[in-house]
Amino acid sequence: MSSKLSDLSMKVGRRGFLKLASLGATLGATSAFASADSIRPATKEEIKNPYPGSKIVKTICSICSAGCGIKAEVHNGVWVRQDVAQDHPISEGSHCCKGIDQIDLVKSKQRVKHPMKKVNNKWERISWETAISEISEQMLKLRKENGPDVAMFLGSAKFNLQQAFYFRKFAAFWGTNNIDHVARI
Amino acid sequence: MANTWGYGAMTNHFGDLLGHSKAIFMIGANSAVANPIGFKHMLKAKDRNNAKLIVIDPVYTKSAAKADHYLRIRTGTDVAFIYGLLHLIFKNNWEDESFIADRVYGIDEVKKEAKKWTPQKTSDVTGIPAEQIIQIARLMATTKPATVVWALGITQHSTGTSNTRILPILQLVLGNMGKKGGGCNIIRGHDNVQGSTDMCCLADSLPGYYGLGEKSWQYYAKGWGVDYKWLQDRFYSPKWMNEKGFSLAKWWQGVLQEEKTYSSSPIRALWVQGTGISSMAQTAKVKEALDKLDLLVIAEPFVNEAAVITDKTDNIYILPVATQFENEGVVVATNRTAQWRDKVVDPLYESKTDDEVMFEFAKKFGFYEEYTRAMKMDIKDGELKTVKKDFFFADDAMNEIARIVKTIGLGGWTAERLREHQSNWHLFDPITLKGRGKVKGQYYGLPWPSWDVKHPGSPVLYNVDEEVNKGGMGFRNRFGLEHEGEDLLASDAVTIKGSKVKGGYPEITAKNIEKVLGITLSKEEKSKIGANWKVDFSGIIQEKCREAGVAPYGNAKARAIVWTFPDEVPIHREPIHSPRWDLVKAHPTYEDQTNNFRVDVKFKSEQQAQDWSKDFPTMLVTKRVVNLSGAGMLERTSKYLSHITPDMFANIHPDLAADLDIRDGDQMWLHSPQGTKIKVKAIYCFSVTPDRIALPYNFAGVMQGVDMSANYPEGTKPYTIGESSNTITNYGFDIITQIPEFNAGLCRIEKA
Repeated sequence: MSSKLSDLSMKVGRRGFLKLASLGATLGATSAFASADSIRPATKEEIKNPYPGSKIVKTICSICSAGCGIKAEVHNGVWVRQDVAQDHPISEGSHCCKGIDQIDLVKSKQRVKHPMKKVNNKWERISWETAISEISEQMLKLRKENGPDVAMFLGSAKFNLQQAFYFRKFAAFWGTNNIDHVARI
Repeated sequence: MANTWGYGAMTNHFGDLLGHSKAIFMIGANSAVANPIGFKHMLKAKDRNNAKLIVIDPVYTKSAAKADHYLRIRTGTDVAFIYGLLHLIFKNNWEDESFIADRVYGIDEVKKEAKKWTPQKTSDVTGIPAEQIIQIARLMATTKPATVVWALGITQHSTGTSNTRILPILQLVLGNMGKKGGGCNIIRGHDNVQGSTDMCCLADSLPGYYGLGEKSWQYYAKGWGVDYKWLQDRFYSPKWMNEKGFSLAKWWQGVLQEEKTYSSSPIRALWVQGTGISSMAQTAKVKEALDKLDLLVIAEPFVNEAAVITDKTDNIYILPVATQFENEGVVVATNRTAQWRDKVVDPLYESKTDDEVMFEFAKKFGFYEEYTRAMKMDIKDGELKTVKKDFFFADDAMNEIARIVKTIGLGGWTAERLREHQSNWHLFDPITLKGRGKVKGQYYGLPWPSWDVKHPGSPVLYNVDEEVNKGGMGFRNRFGLEHEGEDLLASDAVTIKGSKVKGGYPEITAKNIEKVLGITLSKEEKSKIGANWKVDFSGIIQEKCREAGVAPYGNAKARAIVWTFPDEVPIHREPIHSPRWDLVKAHPTYEDQTNNFRVDVKFKSEQQAQDWSKDFPTMLVTKRVVNLSGAGMLERTSKYLSHITPDMFANIHPDLAADLDIRDGDQMWLHSPQGTKIKVKAIYCFSVTPDRIALPYNFAGVMQGVDMSANYPEGTKPYTIGESSNTITNYGFDIITQIPEFNAGLCRIEKA
């Protein structure tokens, strides 16, 4: 878990690789159409599927409680296309405008990319290590001063079931019942 | 709902509506925009069963546009309206007498109250024409099975709890419960509201609605493999372990302490992990509280507007968390179906998954070992034991839940079974949810209760025409065996199909099991069995119940009277801020409340402080739009979804607008009784009448006219921002759950 930062550099490495690949400089595994000087005929497989070797992941929409199925096409670790799930017992191939856009949610430019801290009214980038040690130091200090009811924990209806259970457990082990989520609204 | 028949969840499912409903009574829900694929099932029911769709809403919604009957109701008068229907049903003897006699307790009190609600009186209070009330009462009485569908339009009131009781009462009176195509179908909001609620990320309960009593904590300490005393010492003192915490609705009073609070400490740190802050009422107060906090921690995939609406200049941390497509786990659909959700891609950027965040801090807080211990445990020979050295979160946490949460019957929800359902979507029938082939006999996603690993799940709750081991059951025995001398168990006429025990029976305990099931336990069984079905780790109670075709939670009557509530039967009470001052005296709200979720709540003193309708003459109705959900935090970061509604707005009737000299597209100020205001764009619309306006609640980022854009960290501002309607949501909270009164309030409109 703590090795996430080094994972990131691996990811950057992989993206760099994909960029090269898309210029046609290496391997026919990805798009061959990006650069004029290096176009080669698309293989039969590529005509059928621009992402040869991609895999389909069956997953569930994260918007509303109907629970529609989603087929996510993943190529080299990147979610490249989203399709409806015809065989899903609840949605039977339907999607609403929010559900069909789940792929964009994941890839949204506005994602939080790294830990941040507000100092003197300015946002500063910090590392996970710093964030975890600073936050926990302050939390424990407050706990010492006022006891565990000093904190309020707001959980989520976007947690999966296991995470929801573990968030409730987290508050219990911290020592408070100051925990709630949007079921209250 | 839970207080009527045992569980507070959707009783049937969308496919069932499609297949069997002849009438769909939708009140306080707008599925056409909130859950369009759910709504598709209702439209298909119209085509397939000639089902009549009845929509009751203060605003002519997109769902109303597809309805056979639309009833425009005044906000906050749902109880009065249902009594208007019950009045006619009882008067014409349209009730299901045998169903009531065999399976319902306390309906006489309801009859007494219903007598007062003639069509004329109901019409005066609700604004619905008397002829329409008569027409719909007749339609509901003569069309079976009929289903009732609702959502937050029913719960978000100072009388929310009464609203959620009167609708089940209507369905009991009509005999529509426990039937295919019938039931009470509450449609949940977010993807896992059902699951997160079942796991009780709530201030008043442990997971599975076990509550906060000493016995519940002892059970959980055992299930988690920790010493009870150790767990107790984690709290300020033993007393606080059993006290409800602050709620999402009024946590900010724990910081501000303007109203009297009752806690061992003020709140100085707020930890937000996935709750849109502007989806709460009293946004202006929330902001004040945020400003005053010592520490604000936000862990989310997108910037939570908690970080944006505050003027706090230091000590806010934002941690990047993965979306649900970057980790795997279970999501519980609104119909109690558990769906395994596979991971699509690895966490992007520096994101960690929600569980990783919890684990990192558990280590720092010094309880990581205790926290994760139960994932390495299992039941061996009827006893809890540590069985391995390591864990895999998604599977082992799921199995921990299945092992512990017996109240709602999650015993059958093992990771292995749920994964099998996920990989065999194609084997389940969309109308019955029934499986074929290798999942034959099981229902899709094992809708709870799924009592044990052999149980197929329960697609329709309280259906006594189905065997317990195939998903049948009676109402839960949750409120004792008798009340005022009357038996609370189901009558002798209600024998669940295939049950060895005839008629009603109590919930099964170690004490009564031999007598109720007519069996004798061995000495070893007696030494291992838990005190009752809810806390029996040994599984013996469930095993014996299975053999007898008996539901461990009993077979009882539903109840119309809740003797522990301020209103034993629901009664109509005007909203805290009512447009009908003339009715406030006749139908006042409750007395002010002392200490609910650690804080006082004003009722009567606020309602009757003045005739609010004089200064605030227009009804305030919140709604949502199809392209946004919740606080809109997610969808407003999508270029294409945000484009559909580029500005925050309010729908206003042209006649009202003309009186105020407001043109279509003009900016206007909306003022609330508590002195807050928002500036929004006027959009002319005939979906509202001149006495009310409707505005979406999915915006944030502007506070009382002030653009807070500068507070977004670089590159994280959504494509659209706007005023949050909750800045002017009126003061008012439910007497039991403390849900804010989002859906009944007043405002004053002024041209900007």
